[in-house]
Amino acid sequence: MAPELPVQAAEDLLSTPMFMLIHSFGVDLHYADSYIGKNYRMSRFDRLSTDGGRLDGSGIDPASEVPVRTDIDAEMEIYSKSVSVNEQVILFDGNKTLTKFTALLGQWIREKEDLLMRDLFSSSVSYINSTGGLNGDQPSDPTRNDFNNIENILLSNDARSMLTDIEAENKFSTGGVRDAFIALANTNLCADLQAVQGVLLKNAYPSQAGLRPEEYCSISRFRVFVSSKAAKIPGISLQGNTVYTVPMYGLEAAAKIEQNNYTSTIGYRPAWVVSSVAQNSQLYAKFAIARAITNQNWISGLNCTTFNPS
Amino acid sequence: MPFTIIDGGSFISDAGSKNIDMPMSPDYMRVLNVTRLKTPITPLECVGGEWFGAKFGSGASAANRGIRYKHPNPATSSLFVDSFDTATATNGFTYVTEIPSIEAQAANAITAITAASPAVVSQTNTYADGDIIQLYGTTGMLQIGGMNFQISSSSGSGYTLLGLPAAGFAAAGTAGFTRRVSSAGAVEPRFLFVTAISQANQAVITCSVDPSSHYVAGMKVHLSIPYSFGMTQANQVTAKIISVDSATYQITTDLNSSAFTAFAFPASTASPTAPLFATLAPAGASTQYNPVTNVQTGYDFQYQPFRAGQFVPYMKLGGGGSANLTGIADDVINWMAYKLET
Repeated sequence: MAPELPVQAAEDLLSTPMFMLIHSFGVDLHYADSYIGKNYRMSRFDRLSTDGGRLDGSGIDPASEVPVRTDIDAEMEIYSKSVSVNEQVILFDGNKTLTKFTALLGQWIREKEDLLMRDLFSSSVSYINSTGGLNGDQPSDPTRNDFNNIENILLSNDARSMLTDIEAENKFSTGGVRDAFIALANTNLCADLQAVQGVLLKNAYPSQAGLRPEEYCSISRFRVFVSSKAAKIPGISLQGNTVYTVPMYGLEAAAKIEQNNYTSTIGYRPAWVVSSVAQNSQLYAKFAIARAITNQNWISGLNCTTFNPS
Repeated sequence: MPFTIIDGGSFISDAGSKNIDMPMSPDYMRVLNVTRLKTPITPLECVGGEWFGAKFGSGASAANRGIRYKHPNPATSSLFVDSFDTATATNGFTYVTEIPSIEAQAANAITAITAASPAVVSQTNTYADGDIIQLYGTTGMLQIGGMNFQISSSSGSGYTLLGLPAAGFAAAGTAGFTRRVSSAGAVEPRFLFVTAISQANQAVITCSVDPSSHYVAGMKVHLSIPYSFGMTQANQVTAKIISVDSATYQITTDLNSSAFTAFAFPASTASPTAPLFATLAPAGASTQYNPVTNVQTGYDFQYQPFRAGQFVPYMKLGGGGSANLTGIADDVINWMAYKLET
């Protein structure tokens, strides 16, 4: 009988896949204090009216204006995940198990936070269908004109761009990148983004310094970041295809609120606590988050389908 | 592979489908209709069901399915067992783990949508009043393809779309499909589809679903009205809600639209090039602050924060009649959720 094949473990574990995290870096970060309730309030005074205001010299005081404030409230929520480990796993398979599981829980925190922010964008923002594409669907694949429409909405609402410009340099096949708003798209749209008129793929930026790996291209006044987990709703286009929602926004459009004294906790419960015979231990991760759209004037977006369904 | 009962409960059925939050991510679930276990029996009534989760591999229950226990026909002394149907006949268990998502269901074909106010849909279905359905492929009414609507006056052959005043449409819908979607957004307050805006000193906005589940008086809404809907003056405008009417799916606002051009859906023939859709989205809440008197005038604070909407995961127990899991109105339904210990 042939001997059993020997197995040799690699010197290190292979990478755990992690999707691109694109939904948090463009939002404002706030911190909620402990012990004062679970709702966090962000307030903004509306502009005072610029109508009138001229004194006529009669000495009569003009009527004063009552300021109006808009309050944006967000409710703090707590999320958690745990992993149980039997002592035999550690005893027989190696003592790095807990270390790896700790890293997994840390990754879970980042991924879950990203998905929660994605859900905020997909649920609480008004989107407009792309119509300029050629795939005949409703919404269509995205085009330059669709991007321009959203730029027009944001600029007309006095939104401020998020990213500074990248000045052109004397390099072949590159072009300057304007100061830009942010757009977040699903990776299934990449082929369609490449086909948009005037697209500047990331490699054609004059400088690669400081660019995030999630960035894909620049179109009009938008720099587009992609993730496989960006929002999509299967089967609801006119032709029954998947519709992708692409949030597009500027400064102070959305917020993520962390809870002081609670954010991102990773802990260990030893076996003598978890198990009556001290065999199972437990690792856990917890975090608190609140999220809000802080200014609907400065965020919009596109519903798109793809020309090349994957 | 021992089981642990991790949660359970009981509820009184309203004959509609029922969502039960499942924070414990069950592997197995049992439901019993205690009321239908009466004697003498009524043939073919569902008295309970079982659901198997993903840990059972190829033995796991498909969406809207599960094992069904029901009375025999003709009546005898023993129950018999079959499976909930996936198409349109009966509704079983649907385990939903992520939103925004369409609750996994077979697409259901529409045969007609009337050009009336409100519009009425003809469709063989098991939906219940209050369900929200996503419409697509709406031949003859392409301008509503992709919208979702809350249904009322439902029967096995159709239902009313209270939030769709379609009397001005050029033609009726002749075909299309629906899928049921979660009743709440992943985050609330969620955006809503706008189907009408009146020309009035206090504009009345009609929504495709009951807005009272999402908005209250005092909140602000931001309107996105593409030019194809006519009332361009309302585009990108923020208005304060004065009242919300759950009976008509309408919101009365402080927006003076009396001099605006009329709101109207684009023609079906304008699809797919006409920009869609008209929507409203949450824009906080208004507080008046008088710095002379130091008085703030606000609203009902407890309803407005951004917060998780539909809890996930959840189990949808299918409704729509005595052959389904939730039985008929006033039935007592017991449920238990189990988890495998390993």
